[in-house]
Amino acid sequence: MSAIEQNHASSAPILRTAIFVALAAIGFFLPKLLGGTSVAYSTLTTIAIFAVMCYGIDIVLSYLGEVSLGHTLFWAIGGYTAANLSVKYGLNGWSTALATIALCIVAAGFLGAVTLRTREFVFSLVTYAAAVVGYEIAFNWDAIGGSDGIVGISALKLPLGIATFSGATQEDLWPVALTLLLLTLIFIARFRRSKLGTAALMVQMNPALAASLGIDPRKIRLAVFVLSAPITGLAGWLYAYQRAYVGPDMFETYFLVLMLTAVVLIGRRILIGPLIGTAILIAQQNLFSLGGDWNKIVLGSVLALVLIFWPAGLAGLFPQLRQK
Amino acid sequence: MNIAQQIVNGLVLGSGYACVALGWTILLGVARLVNFAHGQLYMLGAFVTWYAMTKAGLPYPLAILASIIALGILGALMQTAMMRLVMTQNLTSLMIVTLGFGYVLQGGSALIFGGNPQTLPGTLARAKVDLGSLWFTWQDVLVFVATLLLYGAVWLFTQKTRFGSVIRAVAEDPKLAELFGINAKLVYLFVFIFECAAVALGAALVAPRSPILTSMGFNEVIMTFVVVVLGGIGSISGALVAGLGLGLFIAFFGAFVAQAYTTAAAFALLLILLVIRPAGLATK
Repeated sequence: MSAIEQNHASSAPILRTAIFVALAAIGFFLPKLLGGTSVAYSTLTTIAIFAVMCYGIDIVLSYLGEVSLGHTLFWAIGGYTAANLSVKYGLNGWSTALATIALCIVAAGFLGAVTLRTREFVFSLVTYAAAVVGYEIAFNWDAIGGSDGIVGISALKLPLGIATFSGATQEDLWPVALTLLLLTLIFIARFRRSKLGTAALMVQMNPALAASLGIDPRKIRLAVFVLSAPITGLAGWLYAYQRAYVGPDMFETYFLVLMLTAVVLIGRRILIGPLIGTAILIAQQNLFSLGGDWNKIVLGSVLALVLIFWPAGLAGLFPQLRQK
Repeated sequence: MNIAQQIVNGLVLGSGYACVALGWTILLGVARLVNFAHGQLYMLGAFVTWYAMTKAGLPYPLAILASIIALGILGALMQTAMMRLVMTQNLTSLMIVTLGFGYVLQGGSALIFGGNPQTLPGTLARAKVDLGSLWFTWQDVLVFVATLLLYGAVWLFTQKTRFGSVIRAVAEDPKLAELFGINAKLVYLFVFIFECAAVALGAALVAPRSPILTSMGFNEVIMTFVVVVLGGIGSISGALVAGLGLGLFIAFFGAFVAQAYTTAAAFALLLILLVIRPAGLATK
């Protein structure tokens, strides 16, 4: 737990790349392997999008050790940006994605800067409040959708030089969702080994050591928070195209609780933890659903009970898995 | 005259904010704990009161008592489950665990009480008092007086009694306090039960003003956050002043700027304060 985890495969970059490519290829054909039905496609697309959403909060919670309760704000910024810019100005997917990244960085930078000098729980409190306020604004401001939201978002269009990719159906969106997920995984893996990633871990594990090395924990917190926002934002961006609708329901507590649960369920600081966590939780909700209210009880209980009884997550029950 | 009416409205709103925030203030101020299920506990307190009055036919004071007892028991259960995290002062996990509990309460309440908005029956909330061109309800008077009395009592208890200093000793260092023969677990349990009972009382008093919904907890709690931070993290008198001040601000903002964006305005106020005085207004 206390040491910075080393990826064993990092000594053999070619092998690692080969494994990664193989997994990506299997991933690409996974919906086909699961029957190729539109349910398989849409479920896997949803899992990929939600996993990316979770990775945003993951780098704050796992590596920085702080709790952001405002990532639904970035999730909604992504959705609202995609919806507004594509419906009102006819912009393509690249432009809406860039705008999402920019807006998320601005919002996170603002919240992070304001809470720079406050204690850790005030950071959580302010991020929580920011999401509530975001909901209020989205609900009341008719220019960006108001309480009805924006209906009829056209298919995702990504011009690629000569050809234009168009994601009209769930089958078409799967490669985009998978690519976004893989890029996110690469990004997180790089972050774990980056200067910022190791500094964040050090601040969390041994603040005294970090201070003696001249690391300012507040600046690290700001940097990690700003970095995390566009990840969740891009997930929201794709979610808007998948659902063809955005509304104030993107601020639902559900998404926040899902993000946190997916991270802690498998265990913090495990690269593929949030992905597996998301898959398990979405599978429960889609395949073994007990109805909306019971699903809430299940999700909330899992979150609370895991942290109370197995703080290291399910992976903590199988110590040999952590060596991977 | 509108100004005078807005001042009355502000005091009415503000005493409600302060009343609901009391439990959090104590929890944070004397035990250094946080509870992100506070909003859902507020919702539950309101619904238990509603259920006791409409389904069990209890009179209002008994319904309040039932709500306090029910949430006190719930608080004891929650705190018992979280005890290990509390004793190790694991604030990060506590924040998430209480958020999880809150979500369970929301789902559970929707199952038990249904998804429809309800209104607490109350004669006081509809008994208007007219003073010239000013008006308020007897419920407002009740909330205002009860809030002042509660804050006074809690202030006396924590500052002037031996038990108050015991709680503060535990907050300072639970392990050390145990060496001096203080049962820190019991103290934490007591404080958390108080937080839940206080929010039940606050909900029973404040909720008759507006319709209640099982999904309202997440949004309702934001004013408590603002009060606690404005008041200077755990300062009892600070929270009372902050609550009343916030109420006045919201009343005037709602009347003269935009009713729809009052939460956003409160949040903006919080952010400005955090930049100027990161530790809150009432810091020494």
